Amino acid sequence: MTDPAAAPTADDRFAPGARVRTFRHDPPHHTRLPRYARGKRGTVVEPEGPAALADVNARGRGDAPVEQIYAVRFAARDLWGEGDHHVVLDLWESYLEEDSDDER
Amino acid sequence: MTSGDPAGGHSDASISRKVRRLETLLEEKGVLTGTQLDEALDAFLAGASPASGARVVARAWTDAGFRSRLLADGTAAVRELGYMEGAEQRLRVVENTASTHNVIVCTLCSCYPLRLLGPSPSWYKSEAYRSRVVREPRAVLEEFGLRLPETTDITVWDSSAETRYMVLPRRPEGTQGLAEEELAALVTRNALIGTAVL
Amino acid sequence: MARINDVGGTQGFGPVDTTDDTEPFHADWEARVFGIWNALRAQGVFNLDEFRDTVESMPPTEYLATSYYERWYLALVALLERKGVIAPGELDEPGGAR
Repeated sequence: MTDPAAAPTADDRFAPGARVRTFRHDPPHHTRLPRYARGKRGTVVEPEGPAALADVNARGRGDAPVEQIYAVRFAARDLWGEGDHHVVLDLWESYLEEDSDDER
Repeated sequence: MTSGDPAGGHSDASISRKVRRLETLLEEKGVLTGTQLDEALDAFLAGASPASGARVVARAWTDAGFRSRLLADGTAAVRELGYMEGAEQRLRVVENTASTHNVIVCTLCSCYPLRLLGPSPSWYKSEAYRSRVVREPRAVLEEFGLRLPETTDITVWDSSAETRYMVLPRRPEGTQGLAEEELAALVTRNALIGTAVL
Repeated sequence: MARINDVGGTQGFGPVDTTDDTEPFHADWEARVFGIWNALRAQGVFNLDEFRDTVESMPPTEYLATSYYERWYLALVALLERKGVIAPGELDEPGGAR
């Protein structure tokens, strides 16, 4: 992408191609990590540009942290146990953790 | 589901009265004025319709430089044509090829490139579409009359944050002689969402 | 537990009604709800995440029994009451429910 908003920056925790795992946590508040994609392994496509974290912004206090959002690609088999398609979600940085090889 | 639907909606007259009451109350409180509401709505939806998306697609089919800019930075490229000025959200255009197909959804609510394409169709907002297209896209696409080859790699884009998506469909065969406006007339809204091909 | 709006992968909603409705709104009141929502959002009375949060917090039975823009109307009222823009009960019609 040449969109300047989405150019990788030195502050990004994840680079394109990084293997990540989404958080398993089921938060008792607004979130933009759908339940079908919780605790799942995927691959970072690219950064999408930073924005206020929706989970905190939903409280309307104007104090939400601004985080990088990443397009993350998941294989249907990893989401549903079957299927040959892929699903891409746009996920805030704090929804993601590194998926190290030795966990697999 | 539309209002008055036996499955649950309330009658049009009843909800219509309630909405008028809310609008009047907000006007009485000085929070809103009638003209402000209309002007803001006109400004928000100015130029937003499937025809705008079709024009973007036709330009991409006929101008290779525009096509590269559109795929690299959708927001900036559609601004060249006067669309989505001042939009808060980014636009990302995803391209169908001979072996790949893209389809757009928002499973959590109804995110859609409103500022370019106008309000979304009812089916896009339905629980049936939102729940199933991420799980069984081939079956859902067949309900739209679209049967893709088994070998086509399908990507479903679930608009879960600040980016809005539009599909760049493949240019139909046998359209070499057509002018840009004639090409735009071939592009349907469903093709821009990925529930149809041309 | 996820909220009722979080339907990705949920089974049982049946086939998609693929009718291609070309009109952006099906009744004038839907356009008015959209217009009120748009004006209040543009003025910063609430942000998009607060609005989504309010829609999602509807009781599941009510969420599934209401049309798309009815949900928007109900969420607008709930959010405006919570923010003190309108008082609870202020919208009630004389002798009738809201």
